[in-house]
Amino acid sequence: MAVQRFRSIEEMNAAPRREPRGPDFERFLRHCARYWAIAPKNYPRGVFKFRTMEEAQRARDER
Amino acid sequence: MDRDEILRVLSAFEASGLEYVLIGATAMGFHGLVRATEDVDLFIRATPENVERLRDAFRHAYDGDPNIDEITAADLLGDYPAVRYYPPTGDLYFDVLTRLGEAARFETVEAEIKEIAGTRVSVATPAALYRLKKGTVRPQDRVDAAALRERFSLKDEV
Repeated sequence: MAVQRFRSIEEMNAAPRREPRGPDFERFLRHCARYWAIAPKNYPRGVFKFRTMEEAQRARDER
Repeated sequence: MDRDEILRVLSAFEASGLEYVLIGATAMGFHGLVRATEDVDLFIRATPENVERLRDAFRHAYDGDPNIDEITAADLLGDYPAVRYYPPTGDLYFDVLTRLGEAARFETVEAEIKEIAGTRVSVATPAALYRLKKGTVRPQDRVDAAALRERFSLKDEV
């Protein structure tokens, strides 16, 4: 059933969700591709080194 | 994240014999928890030989990018256990870790083998991902931990 109808948002939220088709990782890749299309990034190139993961995350957030 | 690119890299990991385990959103994707991400996070076993395998795999996947020479065992086994590699394609980047804090490293992360397009991929189990994410302060990790906990009915160990 491609279309489901609900009388309220509560009814919609309570409805069981259909399991998406296809392998999980393929869905993940499609999702990332859509994200990239909506919000393209401009990355630097090369290798960057960090003493901790927190330092690495800060560098990412500051970019 | 380009499908062909990530499959090419994962295939190169397997061909090089790299000892690694995927963590982060890419690993979650293998378990059906799908959210967008810009990076591929992985732990590698911290040995000079394994760092060389990583370099070989990246060179194979990225046509000998000279920047790869800057990924060194001296760093990853020494003062810089986190190395970020931005390949020339510009579509994604890799966070390569040899340890995270005091406790987490390749040997402590429980992994399972998944297969994608004929390539075997080492992926952290949902429980291992949950353990990695639940104690951090990063908001996205908290969200991920909650999603893992709910989807896989995970419980905190006492």
